[in-house]
Amino acid sequence: MKKYLGPLSKDNPILVQTLGVCSALAVTAQMKPAVVMALSVTVVCAFSNLIISLLRNTIPPRIRIIVQLLVVSFFVILVDQLLQAMLYDVSKILSVFVGLIITNCIIMGRLEAFALSHKPIPSLLDGMMNGLGYGFVLVVVAFFRELLGSGTLWNHPVVPQSWYAAGYLNNGLMILPPMALILVGVLIWAKNSLTH
Amino acid sequence: MKSYSNTYIFLYVSALVFIIAVVLSLVSLGLKPRREANVQAEKALQILKASGYAHVERARAIAAFDSLAEKEPSRSDGEMYRIRCADGSTGHVIPLQGKGLWGTIWGYAVLSDDLTTIKGVSFAHKSETPGLGAKITEEAFERSFEGKRLYDADGHFVSVKVVPKGKGENIAEENRVDAISGATITSRGVDKMLADGFQNIKE
Repeated sequence: MKKYLGPLSKDNPILVQTLGVCSALAVTAQMKPAVVMALSVTVVCAFSNLIISLLRNTIPPRIRIIVQLLVVSFFVILVDQLLQAMLYDVSKILSVFVGLIITNCIIMGRLEAFALSHKPIPSLLDGMMNGLGYGFVLVVVAFFRELLGSGTLWNHPVVPQSWYAAGYLNNGLMILPPMALILVGVLIWAKNSLTH
Repeated sequence: MKSYSNTYIFLYVSALVFIIAVVLSLVSLGLKPRREANVQAEKALQILKASGYAHVERARAIAAFDSLAEKEPSRSDGEMYRIRCADGSTGHVIPLQGKGLWGTIWGYAVLSDDLTTIKGVSFAHKSETPGLGAKITEEAFERSFEGKRLYDADGHFVSVKVVPKGKGENIAEENRVDAISGATITSRGVDKMLADGFQNIKE
């Protein structure tokens, strides 16, 4: 069991393996898209892992990357279609980023490193945990960016109006992608000093 | 390692692609009515918002829209509607379309009966930056258009200008709104979108 919890801390895909950083910068300006993105990646990662693991003994090694890509694209398009039909509001915010899950290196990384050589259920768990480990960082970064950048959380204003009256300003830099990079850096630093 | 013949590889990929294509097509087909209903409801919601109906549920949007609005012969390419606004007056719905920083932006402006004054607007965007360009859909920005006029004091058409705060002193207050700071290109896109949209209905 312990091995599956790795992605949440000591083997976190973003903080330790520094994978999937690009999308972490793009969708973390607000909490809601970050959470939906985290869930989408978790679903895609878990089920791609499951399918590839089920197929692992039939996939010709020479074309395994192509097969992985097909399976990942399948789930990403599925998630995109479902979001557009069921969660239209959120799908509007995420727009192109859902499609870009296909290029998220965490997913291909797990398929290569785990699903191709493990049984289906462990693969499913591994994919899920890696998705959650990624999502956890996204949500933490989005929390600080939305709070400090827009003064809101989940679109609800949390910074009292009286602060603004007293001269408090939202930090516009927080909304821009470079600040997400700095925040991820700070998280990596905090994590390293905690675990070493 | 097991070796695979070219025939096997070819058949394997063909079968996989076939299965995936069939499943995705079926899903897409099955969800199509819902997706289209969502798009229709979104449009109805936007127009209702611009007409002053602030909180309409998504599920009721189309019915409410149908009961309040009627199509009118259009002078432009887009669809124009007459709508009964929340304050009881009639307004004209002008469709707007333009370009932001990353993709298309669009929206609706509801004009007074004589087509001179904005009663309300609502904007939408495909992929503007959250917290910057995406702010064009926020209430504060949209409300700043209410009561703005398309014509200056001499009766010349000027559209409604979106200008950076403090830079528009040469334009009358009633002809301009403040741009969003940090979203110069998106604001310019809104400015151009309004000018283009209103051009069509100019007297």
